[in-house]
Amino acid sequence: MGRYLLRRLGFALLLVLTVSSASLLLTHLAPGDVTTEQALLLDPAALARRRAELGLDRPLAVQYLAWLSGAVRLDFGRSLLYARPVNTLIGERALNTAVLAIAALVLATVIGLPLGVYSGSGARSLGRAAVRVASILALSVPPLIGSLALVFLAARTGWLPVGGMTSSGGVDLTWSQWLADLARHLPIPALALALPLAATLERLQSQAIARAVREPFVTASRARGLGRAEAVVRHAWPVSLRPVLGLYGVMIGSLFSGSFVVEVVTSWPGLGRLMYDALKARDLYLVAGCAASGAFFLAAGTWFADALLAVADPRVRSQEAP
Amino acid sequence: MNRQPRALLSVLLLGIIAFTGWRWWSGQKPPADSGTEIVFSAASTRGGVLTSSLRSEPRSFNRWVDRNFPTALIAHITQGTLVRINRTTQAVEPALAESWTASPDNQTFTLTLRETSWSDGTPFTSADVLFTFKAVYDPKVNSILASSLQVKGQPLAVTAPDARTVVIRYPGPFGPGIALLDNLTIAPKHKLEAALDAGTFAQAWGVATPVNELVSLGPFVLSRYEPGQRLVFDRNPRYWKKDASGAALPSLDQLILEVVPDQNAELVRLQSGQIDMLQQQVRPEDIATLRPLAEQGKIQLLELGVGTDPDLFFFNLRPQQWAKDPRGSWMARKEFRQAISHAVDRETFANTVFLGAGVPIWGPITPGNQMWFSPNVPRYAHSIDKAKELLAGLGLANRDADEWLEDEKGTEARFTLLTYRGNSSLERGSAVLREELRPLGIAVDVVALEQGALTERMVKGDFEAISFFFSSSNLDPAMNPDFWLSSGSAHIWNIGQATPATEWEKQIDDLMQKMMSGTDQAERKQVFDQVQKIFAENLPVIYFVAPRMYMGVSSRVGSMSPTILRPQLLWAADTLTVRSPGDAGQGGR
Repeated sequence: MGRYLLRRLGFALLLVLTVSSASLLLTHLAPGDVTTEQALLLDPAALARRRAELGLDRPLAVQYLAWLSGAVRLDFGRSLLYARPVNTLIGERALNTAVLAIAALVLATVIGLPLGVYSGSGARSLGRAAVRVASILALSVPPLIGSLALVFLAARTGWLPVGGMTSSGGVDLTWSQWLADLARHLPIPALALALPLAATLERLQSQAIARAVREPFVTASRARGLGRAEAVVRHAWPVSLRPVLGLYGVMIGSLFSGSFVVEVVTSWPGLGRLMYDALKARDLYLVAGCAASGAFFLAAGTWFADALLAVADPRVRSQEAP
Repeated sequence: MNRQPRALLSVLLLGIIAFTGWRWWSGQKPPADSGTEIVFSAASTRGGVLTSSLRSEPRSFNRWVDRNFPTALIAHITQGTLVRINRTTQAVEPALAESWTASPDNQTFTLTLRETSWSDGTPFTSADVLFTFKAVYDPKVNSILASSLQVKGQPLAVTAPDARTVVIRYPGPFGPGIALLDNLTIAPKHKLEAALDAGTFAQAWGVATPVNELVSLGPFVLSRYEPGQRLVFDRNPRYWKKDASGAALPSLDQLILEVVPDQNAELVRLQSGQIDMLQQQVRPEDIATLRPLAEQGKIQLLELGVGTDPDLFFFNLRPQQWAKDPRGSWMARKEFRQAISHAVDRETFANTVFLGAGVPIWGPITPGNQMWFSPNVPRYAHSIDKAKELLAGLGLANRDADEWLEDEKGTEARFTLLTYRGNSSLERGSAVLREELRPLGIAVDVVALEQGALTERMVKGDFEAISFFFSSSNLDPAMNPDFWLSSGSAHIWNIGQATPATEWEKQIDDLMQKMMSGTDQAERKQVFDQVQKIFAENLPVIYFVAPRMYMGVSSRVGSMSPTILRPQLLWAADTLTVRSPGDAGQGGR
């Protein structure tokens, strides 16, 4: 188990380094740099001084090696855009994104898995067909449209705030009031993220459980006198989780690295927006830092999904045992 | 076998549920927040909180080095200048300088400073003014204000005989006179001197600076910054200005800028009453959405007039661009540009791009800039025949079976047009241009780039044609010399020329120098009319339509002085008022 964990940790570090390096180099290759937007305001000499100040006049290899020497110590440099340490900026936003990601993950799981088990484990019925159609609809709607529809719904009904993470008076609130305020702001972005994921989970779970209920050991458990529902939950469901949990790794990675569309539409101050702003302004180090954070969460998500799978599926445990 | 009918039935069922839900929802009373009629007393009130949107976050609070709109807006709200150009009347008004005198040659101005203090209680003195000039002109600072505070390429000479007097000597005559100082946000010496001495002024007042370190001379002080969410400004109790009744300004207790990056979400927030005003003008496609709300009295749709910064279209006129290109013999000729101007139906352009809310224009100064607009410039009436005649004169004709023109060597009349991805009017305008030039036999390949890449290509001269926008912060052309002068950094068709590349650019340079140094307003206007005429004849930049601009504001906002220039309402944030339903003693929301 120790060797397994070490192997995964090594893989995660390699992934983080590769992805952030590639992001930095690709951003460098794109036309322009962080000073470009001042090009129509500053004379060429002033612009050159500004580039030199930021170290952008150095050869790419020198810039990269300087950055890399910091990155291996988990210091991703200073943002050229905000003149602040990249780690601080990411830390601020990662927390916001994590709140949203956890809410979306819980929602997607609570909605998607039970519906998947329901739609895949029984005979065809109107209810199951309705679940299937709803899932396909949720999967077909692009995130931008889904987010806007939810924002519109919130505005039309007045039930929930249209956007943002907290109300403007948030600073004067007590801790519990602040949490309640956050909880009021969370449903719209969380639902916008969760609905397509729930639909994906439902579809995957439905197909997996449909296969699992046909396994001989499930039939055997029924023959031993177990009820249908109990046989499904106790025997078919754990086995069917293998492909579903595999998806969690990717889901966790993508959710925790921030969704640009949902964060922009619902004004959620998360990592997705930060990375978009960094990309637009060609802030090399911030882009690399955001990419590193995304890669880290992807690796962590995959590891978490593997661990969950080992807990859920006895066959995986037995494979790992030797 | 029965799978398909069941699936169909479930789709039908879902449809019925959705339709019923929609009907029910449509029949519901709108939410309390936006539905109940708002009734206010006519009188303006003091106090209250006004919330505006802000589309992007500030990257710095340092107005002297950061050019982005949020930073400039925050400076408008929190800082002060010596004099102010009234955005609605264009008159120069006293601000931190309560009065001034000009020398007979109009080159030396003696300003008497107002007796006031920074928000932390430190007195405002001439030392702050001297310090600000020193910082702006320091090459290590790379201030974005430096070039706009020069006359004939030279900095202004500033002295301070005493704590309340500043003498500013211009290196030569300058038409706008003291209005130039409207650009200069005064910096607090007691807070920033150490940074200037240490060579770190450019990094000072970053967004991580604690808000209590930021001091103000303006109507508000930044009291809270929540990254990614909002900026909260409280009334500056030491602000110097009073209203007509002698009451201290600002009228508002608090001003909040909510960061709303998405324009659709911004509109929804205005509709639902969660913000009081949009950061900038309403998009043409959103006017129809807001008009019913305006008719119901829930919002105000303010018509600001014709925009003064129209979208522009220009070719690369750097000689080196076309030196080895076979298209150079006709692409860089003014007749080619005139043909394009003739080929575009500006009415169609206005209807398609601005949904009818636009007026045709033939030059960079639009009717929105009443002081400087000249109606007597060459106009290019829509005429395909005239356009074809001009192109034939350049040797362009359809010499094969396709629909495009070719020159004598068989080179097709085709160019690549770069535009700014995500800007709806530019993207639509480029598509209209492509379609309008097709009947003429000119092929246009439109490529949308994001802003950084587009600017990079523009500055490096790596383009054939560009459709873009260019914001100016001032209506007097003398304050935008970088656009007009051939040596300017914003002379976008051929940036930063050592000597004028063409005879007509030399003529414009000479006339602009005359116009900038003239002190007689009528004479300046006359000279600038000539500039506009030469510009419209040679068309280095082609203009089609200037949009009519509208602002969406909640009905509860009052005492506004809307203007065409950004920030359209918050430039006079000190006088804005909000009326709460309680003030009227009736109604509510």
